[in-house]
Amino acid sequence: MKLNIKIVPVIAAMALGIGGTQAQNANQVFKAAGSPVNPKVTVTWNRYYDHAGITEICKKLAAAYPNLVKLESIGKSYEGRDLWCMTITDFKKGEEKKKPAMYIDGNIHSNEVQGAEFALYTAWYLAESFADTKFIQELLADKVFYIVPTINPDGRDSYIHKPNTGSSPRSGLLPIDNDGDGLVNEDLYDDLDGDGHITMMRRKNPNGRWKIDPKDPRNMIQVGPDEKGDYEILGSEGIDNDGDGRVNEDGYAFEYDPNRDWGWGWQPNYIQSGAYKYPFSLPENRAVMEFVMKHPNIAAAQSYHNAGGMILRGPGGQEDVSTYNAQDISVYDAIAKKGEELLPGYKYLVVYKDLYSAYGGELDWFYAGRGIYTYSNELWTPYLMFMKDATRDPFDNTTYSFDRYLLFQDAFVPWKEYDHPQYGKIEIGGLKKNFGRAHPGFLLESDAHRNMAFSIYHCFHTPKLEVQDITERDLGDGLKEVTATVYNGRIMPTHSSQDVKNKIERPDYISLTTNGKVVAGMQIENKDLNLSTEQKNNPQTIEVNNIPGLGAVTVKWIVQGGNGKYTVNVDSRKGGTATLAK
Amino acid sequence: MRKISLLVAAAFLLCVSLRAQDYSNYAGQGARLDALVKAYPQLATLKSLTKTNGGKDIWLLTIGTGKTEAKPAIAVIGGVEGSHLLGTEMAIGFAENLLKGSNTDSIRNLLARTTYYVFPNMSPDAMEQYFGKLRYERNGNTTETDDDRDGRLNEDGFDDLDGNGKITMMRVTSPVGDYKLHPDDARVLIKADAAKGEKGTYLLLTEGIDNDKDGKQDEDGEGGIAFNRNLTYRHNTFAPGAGDFPASEKETRALLDFLFDAFNVYAVVSFGSNNNLSAAIPYNPGAAQQRIVAGYLEPDARVNGVISDLYNKVTGTKDAPKTNAGGGDLMSWGYFHYGRYSYSTPGWWVPKAKADTAKKEKPFTVEDPAANYLRWAAQQGITNTFTDWKTVQHPDYPGQQVEVGGLDPYVLINPPFKMTGEIVKKHTEFLVKLAGKQPELEVLNLKTEKLANGLARVSFSLVNKGGMSTHTKLGERSYFLKKVKIDVKTGDKQEVVGGRKTTLLPALDAGTQQQFNWVIKGSGKLTIEAGCPTAGYKTIEVNL
Repeated sequence: MKLNIKIVPVIAAMALGIGGTQAQNANQVFKAAGSPVNPKVTVTWNRYYDHAGITEICKKLAAAYPNLVKLESIGKSYEGRDLWCMTITDFKKGEEKKKPAMYIDGNIHSNEVQGAEFALYTAWYLAESFADTKFIQELLADKVFYIVPTINPDGRDSYIHKPNTGSSPRSGLLPIDNDGDGLVNEDLYDDLDGDGHITMMRRKNPNGRWKIDPKDPRNMIQVGPDEKGDYEILGSEGIDNDGDGRVNEDGYAFEYDPNRDWGWGWQPNYIQSGAYKYPFSLPENRAVMEFVMKHPNIAAAQSYHNAGGMILRGPGGQEDVSTYNAQDISVYDAIAKKGEELLPGYKYLVVYKDLYSAYGGELDWFYAGRGIYTYSNELWTPYLMFMKDATRDPFDNTTYSFDRYLLFQDAFVPWKEYDHPQYGKIEIGGLKKNFGRAHPGFLLESDAHRNMAFSIYHCFHTPKLEVQDITERDLGDGLKEVTATVYNGRIMPTHSSQDVKNKIERPDYISLTTNGKVVAGMQIENKDLNLSTEQKNNPQTIEVNNIPGLGAVTVKWIVQGGNGKYTVNVDSRKGGTATLAK
Repeated sequence: MRKISLLVAAAFLLCVSLRAQDYSNYAGQGARLDALVKAYPQLATLKSLTKTNGGKDIWLLTIGTGKTEAKPAIAVIGGVEGSHLLGTEMAIGFAENLLKGSNTDSIRNLLARTTYYVFPNMSPDAMEQYFGKLRYERNGNTTETDDDRDGRLNEDGFDDLDGNGKITMMRVTSPVGDYKLHPDDARVLIKADAAKGEKGTYLLLTEGIDNDKDGKQDEDGEGGIAFNRNLTYRHNTFAPGAGDFPASEKETRALLDFLFDAFNVYAVVSFGSNNNLSAAIPYNPGAAQQRIVAGYLEPDARVNGVISDLYNKVTGTKDAPKTNAGGGDLMSWGYFHYGRYSYSTPGWWVPKAKADTAKKEKPFTVEDPAANYLRWAAQQGITNTFTDWKTVQHPDYPGQQVEVGGLDPYVLINPPFKMTGEIVKKHTEFLVKLAGKQPELEVLNLKTEKLANGLARVSFSLVNKGGMSTHTKLGERSYFLKKVKIDVKTGDKQEVVGGRKTTLLPALDAGTQQQFNWVIKGSGKLTIEAGCPTAGYKTIEVNL
C-alpha cells in the first residue's frame, strides 16, 4: 500500500521554505467553519494508515509545529515497533509536566483501527487550529495532551496487511498455544481466495438450516423453526491445517486480550478470558503504564475502541461497584452527558452493567489504580448509516442497503465457488474486513471530529486552579493572620474521591512566601464559625487532600513580623499550579 | 601491612565461624550455591533470573538429570519473606542434602523422573537487613516506596532509641493504654480485654519517634515492596509493602515468567509464614463456587489433605499456629492463579513450652507467643534475646514514662541456627516423598487386533498411577497448563480411519484410566505418544 503519495512533495516543499504548497494554494481555498483551511501537514482523513503511515504523520506534525508538538517513543511493541506519543501543548507557556493532562490512545484491539485515526486527527487539529482559534490557544496554554495513536502497532499492521475478518486479530502478536496442545499457531485462517479478506464459507446442502435472504441475495439468514433450508454455513475461510479435526482453532486472531492485562481487579485467564500472565505482562501495556506513572499530571483519559457507539466508563467488574462512588460518578455523568449531545447515536454506558463483566481493563486501572477520570468510546455505530437507530442484525437490512446505495457494493466480496480440500465444493464470500466495525471513508472525518470535541470538553474540565484572594488581619503582638482562598473553576476535583480514599497522588501544596516567620498554618473548615485544623509540621506549606470541582479551599497562616508582602503558590499534581502575590 | 593481614585473617576466621553458627547472608548463600554446582555439575545448574533493584541476583538452582524440562517438576521456594531466614536455609539445605545423597539408588531414581527448581531467596534485599547495622524484621525490598502516600519518601522509619542495634518495642505509661502486664511474666505485655472490664496501663509501640510529626509513628521507613504481598491473587493494592499493582517488582515477574513457561511444574512448595501443610485448607463449597474462585475445588482440597498427612508424618511437627493468607501471597498464587498444587510451611514455630515444675512454673493463665517463647528459650538455654525495659527520654511523650525493651526481632520465626540441620533434614525427606506422589502415566492392556487385510484395531488404557492428578481441578481451566495429548503419529501409507488422530484430555485424575481405540489402515510400525508435561510422556509402538 502506497499511502502518502500526496504528502511527500509537501515535506520537500516545506524543506525549501515554501509554505502552503498543497493541492490548492491559499488564494483558491475558503475556510469552512471549524476546520483548518490551509494546514501545514495535509492528511487525507477518509482512509486508514498503517504503522509506517502513522509514524510519518506524527513526524511531520512534530517537524511542522516544534512549539506545539513533541514526539517520543514510549516503548517498543513485541515485534519492535515504536509506540509513538505526541505531547501537545503550548510549550512557550508554562511547564508541560505541571499542566493538567489528557491522555488519549487507540487501537488496543488490533482490528479496532479507527481509534488511531481519531487520536491522530485530534493531534493534527490542535496543531493546525492553534494559530487562528483562540479557544485552542487558551486550552493549550493550560493543558497538555498526550496522544498515543496506537498502543498496539503489531496488531494494527497485521490487521491491515494480513488476511483477516473485521474482528481479527483482536490481540497483539505474542504467540499463544490457544488449544493447549503444546503447539503454537498451528491452525490459522486461510485466505483461500487470496483477496486479503477472511470472509465466510457456505455450502449447498438440502439438510442445511440456512437460506439466501430474499431481501438481499448476498446475505445469508437462518430459516425459521418450521422451514426447510438449503445451505449450511461452514465458518470463516480456512482449512484444518494440523489435521486435528478442528478448523482455525489455533490462530493468531485471538491470542490474548490486551485489554484484560491492566493492574486493577486483574483476574487470570480461567476467570477472565484473554488475561495473560499478570498485569502489564504485555510489553505495549507495560510501556503505557510506565509512561502514566511518570506523568502524574494526567487527570483525564480516553481509550478508543470500536464498535457500537458508546461512551463507556467502569467498573468492568460487578465486584468493583463500590469503587466508583457517588461523587466520582457525578463527575463522570456530567462530562458523558455532554458527550451524548456531541456524538449522535452514542450512548453513555457502564461496562459491567450494560455490556459484560471484564476484569483487568485499561479504563479500570486508569481510574481505580491512578485516580484518572477515563472513558472508552466504542467508535462507529450503525446509527450513522441512515442517521436512525439500526443494528448489525442480518434481519435488519441496514448494512446491505447502506453498502448498496452509499458504498456501491465496495464492502462486499461476492460469493464464488471454491474447491475445498476438506469440504469439497463450497462458496466463499461476505463482508470485507474494513466494514462492519471500521468507519466507511466518508464518515471517518466527521466522527473523528465529534469524538475529538468530546475529548476537548473532557480535557477542558480537568482542574483549573486560581488563588482568589489573600487577606491579612492583625492579631496584635506583631502577629498577622494571612488567609488565602484557592478556587477550582472546572468540573473535576484535583483528586478523584478514589484518589483521596487511597491517597494515590500526594496532597496539593499551598505555600506562603513571606519574609516574616510562619509560626502556624491551618486549613479552614468553616471560615464563619472559625473552625480549622492545624498542620504542625512544615506549616508554611499547607497540604490539602483535595480541591473540589467548582469549589474552593481556604487556608491561613499566622505570621510573625515581615513586611506585609505575601505570595501564595499552589502546586497540584493533577490540578496544575497557580500563584498570587499581595 | 601486618595490621591489614591480621585484620584479613580475623575477618576470615569470623566468616568461618559465622558460617557454622548463623544463617548465611547474600554472599554466603551465593557461595553455597556455587559450591553445589561445582561439586555436582551433572545434576545441578545455577542461573540468575534477574537482579533486584538492590542489585542482588534471584537464583534458580535446577536439580535433575538429562532433559530437566521434560520431567515433571516441583518448585521449591525460599526467602518468601525477607525476615524468614529459615526459609532460605531450608531451600539451600534441601539442595545440599539431596545432592549429597545423589550417589544412592533412591535419589538417583528420583532424579531420573523428577526435576526440582529451587529458588532459594525471593527477598535478598530485605533479608540482608538481618546482617546489617540495624536489625529489624524487614520484608520490603529496596524499591523506594512512599508507604504512607504523603509525597515524601522514607521520612519516618524506626529509631534505635536505646542504641543496641535492634528495633524492639516501646511502652508508654498512659491512662488510655490498651496493654497490661502479663499476669505470669511481667516482661511481657498483653492486650487488656475491655469486654471483661479490664483496663490497660500501657501503649505498646515499635521503637521509634514520629519524625515527621504527622501523628503516626514509624509509618514510612526504609523498605519497599514485600515479595509475599506483591503477587496477583487478592493483591492489597495501595497497602504498604504491596505495591501500586500486582507483580510490580522485578523479582516477582522473574519468578512468574519462569514458572508460567515451565509447563512441567505440578507442585509448588514454598517456605514462608503461610501454612497449609500442618493443617489442610478445608473444602468450602461457597468459596469454591464464586466467580472469582476463593476456595479450593473439592478434589484439590482432598489432595491437600493427603499431602498434609504426609507432611505431619514425615516431619513429626505439631501445634502449628493457624495462619491466614494475607493476599498477594505466593501460596495462594500457586494454586489460584498458577493452577498447580501449592503448599507452604514456615518449617518451624516456637514449640509449646511446658511449665517446669522444678522451677515452680505453672501453666500460663493467658496464652501469649512472647511469654511462651521466653519460657521455651529459658528451657533451651537461649539467652540474650530479650532486652529489659529501660526508660528513655522521648520527644513525643513529654512527662510520660517511656521504656524501650522486649523480644529481639526474628526470634519468633527463626530458630537458633543450630536447630536448622534437623529441620532441613525432615523437610528434605518430605520433598522427596512428595515426588513419590507425582502424577505418573502407564499404558495397560495394549492390543492390536487384525480386522482384515491391512486393517487393524489398536487399543489401550492410559492409567494415572500417581497420587496426584495430572492437573489440579482448577488447573484444568487454565491455558497455561498443557492438556493430556494422545497423538497417533501415522507414517507413510498409514491412515486413521476410526477414532481421532489427536485427542486432548483436560486431565487424567489420580488412580483413574481412560480407554482409547483406533482403526488403522496400513501396515508396519505405528507410534502413539501419550502424556503431558506435568506427568511425562509415554511412547507406544505397535506393529500393525
